[in-house]
Amino acid sequence: MKLTYHWLQDHLDTRLSPGEIASRLTMAGLEVEAVVDLGAPLDKVQVGLLETVDPHPNADRLTLCRVRVGEERLTIVCGATNHRPGDRVAVARVGAQLPNGLTIRQGKIRGETSQGMLCSAQELGLASQSDGILILPADAQPGVPVARILGREDTLFEVNVTPNRGDCLGVRGIARDLAAVLEADLRPLAPRVAVDPAVAQRHPVAVLLEDPEGCPRYTGRVIEGVRVAPSPDWLRHRLEAVGLRSINNVVDVTNLLLLDLGQPLHAFDLDRLQPPVVVRRAWAGERLLTLDGMERPLTGAMTLIADAQRPLALGGIMGGAASGVTEATVTLFLESACFDPIRIARTGRQLSIVSDSRYRFERGVDPDGVGPALDRATELILALAGGRAGPVVVAESGALVQPAPIPFRHQRAIRLAGVQLSPEQTHGMLTRLGCQAVEVPGAGDGATRHYRPPSFRQDLRLEEDLIEEIVRLYGYDRVPSRMPEGPVDAQETDPARALADQVRSLLTGRGYLETINFAFVAAQRVRAFQPEVRPVALVNPLSEDQGVLRTLLTPGLMEAAQRNLSRGNTQLRLFELGRIFLPQEGGPPTESEHLAALLSGPLAARSWNRPDRAVDFFDLKGDLEAVWSGLRLPPATFRPGGPGFLHPGRKADILLGGESCGWIGQLHPSRQEAFDLAQPLLLLELELAPLVAARERGRCAPFISRFPAVARDFAFVVDDGLPAEELLNAIRQTERPLIRRVGLFDLYTGPHVPDGKKSLGVEVVFQSADRTLTDAEVQGLADAITSAIQQQFQATLRGG
Amino acid sequence: MREALEQLRNQALEEVDRAATVADLDQVRVRTIGKKGALTQLLRGLGQVSADQRPLLGELANQVKEAFNQAFAARLEALKDSALEAQLTREGLDVTLSGRQRPPGGVHPITRALGEIGDIFQAMGFFTATGPEVESDWHNFEALNIPADHPAREMHDTFYLPPGPDGEKRVLRTHTSPVQIRVMEGSRPPLRVIAPGKVFRCDSDLTHTPMFHQVEGFMVDRNVHFGHLKGLLEAFLRRFFERDLPVRFRPSFFPFTEPSAEVDMGCLFCAGRGCRVCKGGGWLEVLGCGMIHPVVLGNVGIDRERFSGFAFGMGVERLAMLKYGINDLRTFYENDVRFLESHAGL
Repeated sequence: MKLTYHWLQDHLDTRLSPGEIASRLTMAGLEVEAVVDLGAPLDKVQVGLLETVDPHPNADRLTLCRVRVGEERLTIVCGATNHRPGDRVAVARVGAQLPNGLTIRQGKIRGETSQGMLCSAQELGLASQSDGILILPADAQPGVPVARILGREDTLFEVNVTPNRGDCLGVRGIARDLAAVLEADLRPLAPRVAVDPAVAQRHPVAVLLEDPEGCPRYTGRVIEGVRVAPSPDWLRHRLEAVGLRSINNVVDVTNLLLLDLGQPLHAFDLDRLQPPVVVRRAWAGERLLTLDGMERPLTGAMTLIADAQRPLALGGIMGGAASGVTEATVTLFLESACFDPIRIARTGRQLSIVSDSRYRFERGVDPDGVGPALDRATELILALAGGRAGPVVVAESGALVQPAPIPFRHQRAIRLAGVQLSPEQTHGMLTRLGCQAVEVPGAGDGATRHYRPPSFRQDLRLEEDLIEEIVRLYGYDRVPSRMPEGPVDAQETDPARALADQVRSLLTGRGYLETINFAFVAAQRVRAFQPEVRPVALVNPLSEDQGVLRTLLTPGLMEAAQRNLSRGNTQLRLFELGRIFLPQEGGPPTESEHLAALLSGPLAARSWNRPDRAVDFFDLKGDLEAVWSGLRLPPATFRPGGPGFLHPGRKADILLGGESCGWIGQLHPSRQEAFDLAQPLLLLELELAPLVAARERGRCAPFISRFPAVARDFAFVVDDGLPAEELLNAIRQTERPLIRRVGLFDLYTGPHVPDGKKSLGVEVVFQSADRTLTDAEVQGLADAITSAIQQQFQATLRGG
Repeated sequence: MREALEQLRNQALEEVDRAATVADLDQVRVRTIGKKGALTQLLRGLGQVSADQRPLLGELANQVKEAFNQAFAARLEALKDSALEAQLTREGLDVTLSGRQRPPGGVHPITRALGEIGDIFQAMGFFTATGPEVESDWHNFEALNIPADHPAREMHDTFYLPPGPDGEKRVLRTHTSPVQIRVMEGSRPPLRVIAPGKVFRCDSDLTHTPMFHQVEGFMVDRNVHFGHLKGLLEAFLRRFFERDLPVRFRPSFFPFTEPSAEVDMGCLFCAGRGCRVCKGGGWLEVLGCGMIHPVVLGNVGIDRERFSGFAFGMGVERLAMLKYGINDLRTFYENDVRFLESHAGL
């Protein structure tokens, strides 16, 4: 909502400066988002006194003028003919920028230096056309900004009116609220209209209100004999100041009052319609060409203004093209009405019409403001366009009742507000806002008062609404701040959040950077990774690239990797913790917390003290294992397998307690090529819930023996295809109670090992909980292992 | 004999002193007190000395041996020390060379900000709750007193999902306030809760991303009033920004609170004089808040006559930008590792 300082002063007599007004409005909940000095663009246009006007030596049609501006004397070349020595003129000095976009520079015109420009009213944006330069009053002081002389110094406020304050969508409404805050008085609004009853006889217009729900109050009147013409400057300036274009005197008046009183009005050309005026629901299949040139299909849920024959206007939203005011209009039917906010909102949304009228009716227009607005508009039209006004025609439903009184308990109000006020003070505040104390028979318990809110405050319905008004008028900044009281308990931590936090610190400790990616991706991406999944699609995505909810974190992480690689960041250690969304039959999508990590590029920056090497599968796996042990989870097992977008020979399912909870692997080389990635990516993704559950099942106390441990090394030659983990597991099974640890320290293929075979160097650590193991015992254990493994895997001992 | 002993002592001690290496020194030892050493030889001659001289000379010989042993041990120690020193000098490193680096890891600046916000509220007794990112129309709007045709819905550019088979409308939550409803549906006051998380609005430009983060917080108890809301949020802002900046509450509108307030903080960058960041006004909008609306309490079955409460919501990106000096919102979601490294938290 835009308004100017002078406009506000038309309604409220205040000496506060524009800056002070802006701050009082903001602190009253009418946030002023911008304050613009409208005179500023004309700052460098100043009053000049013409001392001499001589013919230009080299041009017949030009004059060479000497002008005094303040203490300075300027030479200016001018092409006008209406200026004489001794005139006061508007001088645009060097650097001035005129409303038409022209910037004034010093220059030579036909060989003579010109240090500025003498302006016409048109060039200053003061008139749509003008002859010659503007001659100012003789008492204008040279050097003074012209804007001040012309009364064009004004300040524009841009107010952010919240959706509950429809009453402040007019300048008068804002002035009214400010008056309550300042404890000042609003200037009275008392339009005077001389009604000519004969007009109604010449132009009888009946109004049939057939949709009282959609339009609880409809008023109108005929004005005959108007002369549609351009608006006078003051009206044009006022509209232009707030960003509106002037059309003609009649339309401008309706627009002015929409902004001034917040009441949308509509003027019909009476000669273009056939009375009566009917306010009804549209019929299915009806169509209307609206003012914006669009043909609108209508439905029975829309309120229509029609005549005996056809639709005229979409009530409260937009007029029709065929019945509007034109240059030729001489007889008006001027409408001022009140429409149902919900009906307006639905119709506007359905037809995608955004209009100032819809905006106001949606937020609630004062039903009691309909009459005064009609009178004020009539008064102005008669003054600007002439004519004679007929009597007001009113059609209204019985549904318009006074707002119900609101019970109000002073004690509760000041307790919730946290302020100390007397009952007289709260009463005074509510009264200032236009609320009326009323007696409600049978409801008097002494502590409860009742207030009827004013008709323009449709947002006031509950006791809390009144409490808010009291705190607002008292001033939020004056409410004393207190820390909340009451016992503070130690709060438990959600195990899933705790786990996620620990994963974060374990991964960041190993050099990973956390990323956050959007939860929506292109459907195509999902298909590329999980052709079997039907992702949940957004009804109204911003773009196809963000069309569906993600079903894996990996695609987003890969996009981040692509972006980094394209920017030359090659050393990538990324992860994300976030939710994925899987469709679920008959219910909302399942949201599941995932972890994904991505590793790519050199292991570390090039350095003197370590060989350069690219990361590989086992770097990522090692990081995962470190997270695993850091989380104190039961060991994971890795089984060859995993999704199809991974390298078939370098991927594994991650199993926890025998169940798969995710996968790890290298991106399939053909995918890498398809995604145009210059280096291999190692990826993992897993679901966190199984990890949380595994931890919930409890931790076992660590076993620490005080007897010495004995290590033995074995080198088994086995089939190349045998997963090492199977062999290690088999060893673990053999002599369980005495085996503390089994680890692979060497993997070898090459000379001395037959083709198709590999040698696995295994270290086994033996330890007893209750005694020192003897050499013989250890030898017995080692023999048992050797023979078990030889049997189970047709293994041979290397070198043995 | 006596002279021979004394001469031997002088000579041996001198040789000990002169020995340059452990090996030299050992030769001196062999020459002096070894099986065929000079002192050993001399002592063998002790038998031919007269009986009255023998004890005296024996005593002297022992003194010579003792003196030699002491000198030897001292010299040996000294030689070992200098040998070690020489070796350590040879082993010296160029300590100006860089150490073996591990790349720096870190959490996303949003996570960092969420952590800092969470810690402050946790210290003030707030429990952290979470909720689904796909929400029902009821939790996201209706229960929060935002009916279908209310203009307030236009404040939220909502992403819609296809409705369920029961016709239930689903949206990507536009704020974390629905968690307030979910918590209050499931538990009774007193409540002190924060709900951090992702939220979604279909808007994307210089200052909007379609996904961002909020922290919703609320408290419900007996006798909670507007002054408590002010006190708590002032304390929070002071802790979070680690500065004592002016804080201003001004009336605003949210359908789910009443009275509602917008919270402004004195500009961090110009101390309120007006700059580009605060658009010249000297204030930065940092939070929205208010007393929980009676309709909302009614929707979750909390007796508004017995209990009252307040709620607040903050945009995490905005707070993070202000605190960490990040000037482009979109960089949060580009995940450029240089950005992540420079703004990462632990």
